Amino acid sequence: MATGTVDRSPPTEVQGPSSTAPRSPVEVRSDPIPKQEEPAVTSPRLTPMHQRRLSPFVITDRPEEKQLGLSSRSLSLQDFRLLKTLGTGTFARVWLVNLKNPQERRNQVYALKILRKADVIKLKQVEHVRNERKTLAAVSGYPFITALIATFADDQSLNMLLEYCPGGEIFSYLRRARRFNENTSRFYAAEICLTIEYLHDVEGVVYRDLKPENILLDAEGHIKLVDFGFAKQIGDRETYTLCGTPEYLAPEVIHNSGHGLAVDWWALGILIYEFLVGQPPFWDQNPMRIYEQIVEGHIRYPQGMGGAAQNIISLLCKTNPTERLGYISGGSSRVKAHPFFEGINWDDLFHRRTKGPILPRVDHPADTGNFEEYPDPDVRNQAVYSEDLKKKYEALFGDF
Amino acid sequence: MAANSSFAESNAALKLTTKDDHSSTFQKISEEKEEEDHEVTSPTNPTFRTVDADDSSTARGRLFSGGGFGEGGAPIRFGRSPFGRATAEEEAEEEDDFEEHPDGIRPTGGADHGMPSNYALGRRTSVSAESLNPTSAGSDGWVPPHHPKTDEQLARLKTAVSNNFLFSHLDDDQFTTVLDALVEKPIPAKGIKVISQGDAGDYFYVVENGQFDVYINPAGSVQPGPDGMGNKVGSTGPGGSFGELALMYNAPRAATIVSVDPKSTLWALDRITFRRILMDSAFQRRRMYEAFLEEVPLLSSLKPYERAKIADALDTIKFPAGSTIIAEGDPGDAFYLLESGEAEAFKGGDSEPVKSYRRGDYFGELALLDEKPRAASIVTKTDVKVARLGRDGFKRLLGPVENIMRRTEYEVRPGSSA
Repeated sequence: MATGTVDRSPPTEVQGPSSTAPRSPVEVRSDPIPKQEEPAVTSPRLTPMHQRRLSPFVITDRPEEKQLGLSSRSLSLQDFRLLKTLGTGTFARVWLVNLKNPQERRNQVYALKILRKADVIKLKQVEHVRNERKTLAAVSGYPFITALIATFADDQSLNMLLEYCPGGEIFSYLRRARRFNENTSRFYAAEICLTIEYLHDVEGVVYRDLKPENILLDAEGHIKLVDFGFAKQIGDRETYTLCGTPEYLAPEVIHNSGHGLAVDWWALGILIYEFLVGQPPFWDQNPMRIYEQIVEGHIRYPQGMGGAAQNIISLLCKTNPTERLGYISGGSSRVKAHPFFEGINWDDLFHRRTKGPILPRVDHPADTGNFEEYPDPDVRNQAVYSEDLKKKYEALFGDF
Repeated sequence: MAANSSFAESNAALKLTTKDDHSSTFQKISEEKEEEDHEVTSPTNPTFRTVDADDSSTARGRLFSGGGFGEGGAPIRFGRSPFGRATAEEEAEEEDDFEEHPDGIRPTGGADHGMPSNYALGRRTSVSAESLNPTSAGSDGWVPPHHPKTDEQLARLKTAVSNNFLFSHLDDDQFTTVLDALVEKPIPAKGIKVISQGDAGDYFYVVENGQFDVYINPAGSVQPGPDGMGNKVGSTGPGGSFGELALMYNAPRAATIVSVDPKSTLWALDRITFRRILMDSAFQRRRMYEAFLEEVPLLSSLKPYERAKIADALDTIKFPAGSTIIAEGDPGDAFYLLESGEAEAFKGGDSEPVKSYRRGDYFGELALLDEKPRAASIVTKTDVKVARLGRDGFKRLLGPVENIMRRTEYEVRPGSSA
């Protein structure tokens, strides 16, 4: 049970009512974790279908329910004009696209994620890509997640048609600002918190790649979680494959002792730290030294970081997942009741009645000014999805 | 866009560089290197500096080795300590002042004032290892490889990996299994490249005998030509080890390792074997604990996921024969499952045990309810391994025990508990 996490905040600081989750009057203890007996938070724990109907981002041209994330046999890459690269991954590239056929809404743009089958296989990511398609289809329609509109397969690639989020990555804003103030950090952390709560409690999905690079802003300054490449429906069970981003890996992932939903709460702690400080708590040029620091779990807080912020980071970044806020009794409602989130009206937040702290400049729906420039793909060295590979793997891509 | 040089630079580097485990390879070789590394400020670094990293640290241009797939991260430089005192000028630029702007905010381009030129935290790439699936673990008949070793060899291996955090965390059984799995790799000649910088990394190596030189090419991988391996940066001999990042995921090698002696020997361990050993033992342990917990009447009203959480929170403790695990009269604070070995309960100083316990038995569960004194002492008859759960741990995970108990009436079985 040994944990090296340093809890620097005095226990008195962590007791406190949250705007929507009044503290139970009976429970007055000096336990450094805020008590919340009843999950009385007016949280968006609605049925997934209900949420999809509520969502402001359900694609409006298909009003019927749940038209998101369907596999399309009729779409092909030929139907789209690739306008500009929005991002690149190790085996995928995301393009801003529109439909070539002028009959179809000419001004409507989308983000198209193109995964090359041969690379997916080479990098042993078949299982992850299947999970990505499945989980993203299941969670599409939630206000803080990019909606998957449709998927389709081509000879060489798997394609995911997503809504376009013109504000760019929080990462870019954070690096430009160097660090966020506590209000800004709180706002984004709160929207992430709702999203994790939804993924875990409603869908049983662990996300596993939380970081500023994977959080986009929409035109109104609200967050959109993107890249479900490592997301997986696990419910209450544990899973073992190491994945994530070095600075954000939880200790149990490094130890390969099995990890579950708790890894997302760990990553939320790292994320809040990076928002407030401008860099993650564990860092080294050598990744092995990062991992060594992570399993040790000793976090240094800069002077001037608020007590509530330090406290929530220390509780989320407990090296032992069975002691970690979010995973322990009370779950996400206890995270939301933490004094760091004091002043957040969770109901308003979910319904997007609160304005985001950063309003991106978006001149028109297809504006890509908030994204970085990426070099064109190198088509010469692309691995080919051969007939042999096809025989072996094509069935696994059948969901697309 | 162009005005912000740091972003432009990070992008340019995106497709060109490879990532690697540079200093991991020779961290045991070069103390000097370790010292140097500290120049780059990291908030958790013991020799953490509060001054700006100087140019030399950035000029060294160690590439950040974030990802596993060869898509390089940009050079990452924490140019400025978050703990340092900012100058007044910097203070003015502190934090996000995304003030109201009629047209909204751009994260790119424009205002790069106030951003030190050496501040370029690049976009980080995700990493991933091969899919490991425990459901196939038992069924496919996989057993860890066993390569016999002499006691001396084992002792040397133990010493060689003892400082490595990937090994120091293992329990005794895991550690033994992992050491058994290391396979001997004879290097029959001088000048053999054991690993080549930039190549995919699958194996971790420990040197049994012979010397090996370490080369690094600043280009990030071995280049054609006579000096293709780059500069010699160190060497390693018996007891040294290299390539441990390969035990995590497939990242390009950070250095080239070349044999120096006409004959030498390495021990090798591949990632899948290593991670599979860890996974299988963790998986079996969890399932065993869950099965044990199912037999505890006090916990019968727990839902399966709650039992899984409890299983997760159990601490394994070993006792030699003749130890007292709990003492009669002491306040009870924890519950125990007997994982292996045998133990007996004694009461009131009698030499005859009132009860005996074997694998899967449990005792002290009433301590989860309250702090009543222990009704008996439990003494180990053989070497024993127990799994312990404190009342606090239980409460932290599942809330007050009373609420759980209220689900079904729990009746204390006569004589069931210590």
